[in-house]
Amino acid sequence: MNLTRWLRAVGGVAASLLGLLVLTFLIGRVMPLDPVLAIVGPDADRSTYEQVYRQLGLDQPLVVQFGRYLLGLAHGDLGRALLTGNPVTGDLLRVLPATIELATLAMLIGALLGVPLGVAAATHHGRWPDHAARVLGLLGHSTPVFWFGMMGLLVFYAWLGWAGGIGRIGLAFEGTVPTVTGLLLVDAALAGDAQAWRSALRHLLLPAAVLGLHSMAYLSRMTRTFMLAQLSQEYVTTARVKGLSERQVVWGHAFRNIRVQLLTIVALAYGGLLEGAVLTETVFGWPGFGSYLTGSLLLGDMNAVMGSVLVIGVLFVSLNLLADALYRVFDPRAAA
Amino acid sequence: MLPGLALGAWDTPTDQLLVGLSMNNLLSLDPAAATGLDAMAVACNLYDSLLELDAHEPTRLLPGLAQSWAVSQGGRRLGFQLHPGARFASGRPVLAEHAAWSLQRVLRMNLAPASVWKSYGFTAANIGTQVQATGPHTLQIDLPQPTDPTLVLMTLATSMSALVIDRDAVLAQAQRGDQGAAWLTTHAAGSGAFALQTWRPKELLILTQQADHWRGAARLRRVVMRHMTESQTLRLMLARGDLDVAGGLSAPDIRALAQRPELAVETVRRGNVYYVAVNARHPRFADERVRRAVLRHLIDFDGLAGSVLPFYGQLHQRPVPPGLPASLPSPGYHLDVAQARRLLAEAGLPDGFDTTIRVMAEAPFTGIATSLQATLAQAGIRARIQPGTGNQVYGAMRDRQFEIVVGRGGGGAESHPHSALRALVYNPDNRDSARLSNFQGWRTGHADATLNGLIDQALVEPDAARQLALYQQAQQRVDDAVGGMQPIAVVTDTQVMRRVVKGYVGHPSGATRLRDVYKVAQS
Repeated sequence: MNLTRWLRAVGGVAASLLGLLVLTFLIGRVMPLDPVLAIVGPDADRSTYEQVYRQLGLDQPLVVQFGRYLLGLAHGDLGRALLTGNPVTGDLLRVLPATIELATLAMLIGALLGVPLGVAAATHHGRWPDHAARVLGLLGHSTPVFWFGMMGLLVFYAWLGWAGGIGRIGLAFEGTVPTVTGLLLVDAALAGDAQAWRSALRHLLLPAAVLGLHSMAYLSRMTRTFMLAQLSQEYVTTARVKGLSERQVVWGHAFRNIRVQLLTIVALAYGGLLEGAVLTETVFGWPGFGSYLTGSLLLGDMNAVMGSVLVIGVLFVSLNLLADALYRVFDPRAAA
Repeated sequence: MLPGLALGAWDTPTDQLLVGLSMNNLLSLDPAAATGLDAMAVACNLYDSLLELDAHEPTRLLPGLAQSWAVSQGGRRLGFQLHPGARFASGRPVLAEHAAWSLQRVLRMNLAPASVWKSYGFTAANIGTQVQATGPHTLQIDLPQPTDPTLVLMTLATSMSALVIDRDAVLAQAQRGDQGAAWLTTHAAGSGAFALQTWRPKELLILTQQADHWRGAARLRRVVMRHMTESQTLRLMLARGDLDVAGGLSAPDIRALAQRPELAVETVRRGNVYYVAVNARHPRFADERVRRAVLRHLIDFDGLAGSVLPFYGQLHQRPVPPGLPASLPSPGYHLDVAQARRLLAEAGLPDGFDTTIRVMAEAPFTGIATSLQATLAQAGIRARIQPGTGNQVYGAMRDRQFEIVVGRGGGGAESHPHSALRALVYNPDNRDSARLSNFQGWRTGHADATLNGLIDQALVEPDAARQLALYQQAQQRVDDAVGGMQPIAVVTDTQVMRRVVKGYVGHPSGATRLRDVYKVAQS
């Protein structure tokens, strides 16, 4: 890619992120939520209210408020969160690893189950494996994730005792694993604490499976659609006429041609999991990014909301760029 | 899921108390900034106050950091003798100058906890002279205006703002003259039985035992509190034995858990009330007959007490909560649609009217609002329920932009009639421009000079019997002159805990101290 294309890409990304921030800022100002009241409480008197109103800079014109925010952003300062009293950057660095750990395992579960299921459905089009996959896909996609979560907790945690309960680790282990990466499984392994690691794994598997089931449904449906389109192509008929095995036809030819499309939807689904696992995080008491963003929104904590939205924007842009880069690996025409 | 992983399940350790609760209202631990009972429940274990209030007998003051105290100068001077052995977690001795500085800081920061002190006449300008250390262990507080010294002592025993801070530890962390406010939001510098090991807002809070605490070490090594908002998950964790104490459970879950022999249900009565409020400045409710119809005859008090309020509140129809000497029994208001219809007809509204009920979208508020909507409909009043967050509901109420609110409020933690009356029905200036939005009386737009006079008079009445009579007259006046506020029930807070937890006593003012709590091994 030449310099002009790079500059155009970077400019496009910067414009998108700025647009995102402007929109979020404006929405934040019209929301019927009062951040001052969140700080001072419903029974504060007038002088206290007005003092905090000024301290937050809310007495300034919107342009000035936004300008100050951008100025801080230019210096790497996302402001201080009302919710936690901490710098937003620090908060995001704390909550993101929790979500990354959950979403990554969920995505692995979703992709490793969903893609083969979609392929099986396509290759058995109109027969029982196809119907079963479609029913499973429909259930996974249309059943509310919080219902799955509650049922999962009831069966695997309360009744069978196989899964850990709420949170990222057993309560008695809280505060015992030194934070290095923020990924609890990694940190517990680094600390050499086998009991804590096992507790973290027990707590991770169920929410990841619930979230992964949702992704699996989506990925299997999309994979099936992509594969059906490929399997009806003439090159597939040719391959079969040439005497290739069904396995070679399906995986060696048809599947190779849907990898680029799959990459796109996997990247988008992963992005969606990173910012949209709110319900799963709520049901499982998972202190991740979705919970942080929701809590901030409900308080009208605009510094935290803007920082979170910015992160979501950067995540989606990064995943798109990654998918673009992988296109070139899988599709030589894109590299040309 | 691998079956082998289930082998890791165990009972909770006996030296740790594991608590699940909502931390939605816990935004700061700074005694000069934090508000609400949730903050107090944590902070009272990190800090000490000069006095404490007996959890079993909430009108009885107990020594805290002050081993003795005296009232002199006609009730205008309070003197305290501090315990000479008290030490902060930093190891520094707790001195009277720390106590004075802590109170001075509250007024200088002028955040919500300063309100109560401002009501006693303290200001940022006079606090330095009115509150002084007269010796290393002697503190003197001069009240700037006549008031009931007992009320001030109760504030010292129950308010976040009265917790004593390690001044030197805080000032070492101060930034740009903020008196350590940014640091104290998420850290602690107290002399309590526990130290703050970890606090991640809306996620996790860990307290660790202060082994050399001046009262003797707490019996628990750690207290781990996790932010959990889903009642169902709290229930599952309690049932599995992974939690020791859970708060914020829904009534159906509490009922179910109460059947389990290993669990106990503990209910503590708070000082505030659930209420229905109308905006007397709104044309619909300006007529006293309309207010009387809605607030006295169209609330199904008995139905609510039996269906919606169990575990959330106890029926009580007056602003002063039960348990105080001045408290009066409920006057016996009950659903009387026929009487309400007569009053509405007299007010020229025989066909009712349209209105809106603002309510927080959580239990028991929505249940109360739904019941109210149904009973209003019986009298022809068509009410639309507008659910929202606390911020939205109380924000509208503070701006007097509402018609009906189902809410919660009242006197802070002090077990004193003035506290409740002032918060709920007192309104010294009803003009919009007065913006007395901290008074529910002002929010509802109703002012009664007679009532205000009785409350003011009672506060400074030195004779206990006469004061009691004045407070009772004030409550009767609330009955006679229908304002904008009708208490329904006194708030109760219900927690479910494992029976292996011993010594846990929920405090009406939220100051539940964990220093004497311990656990026994499961039999």
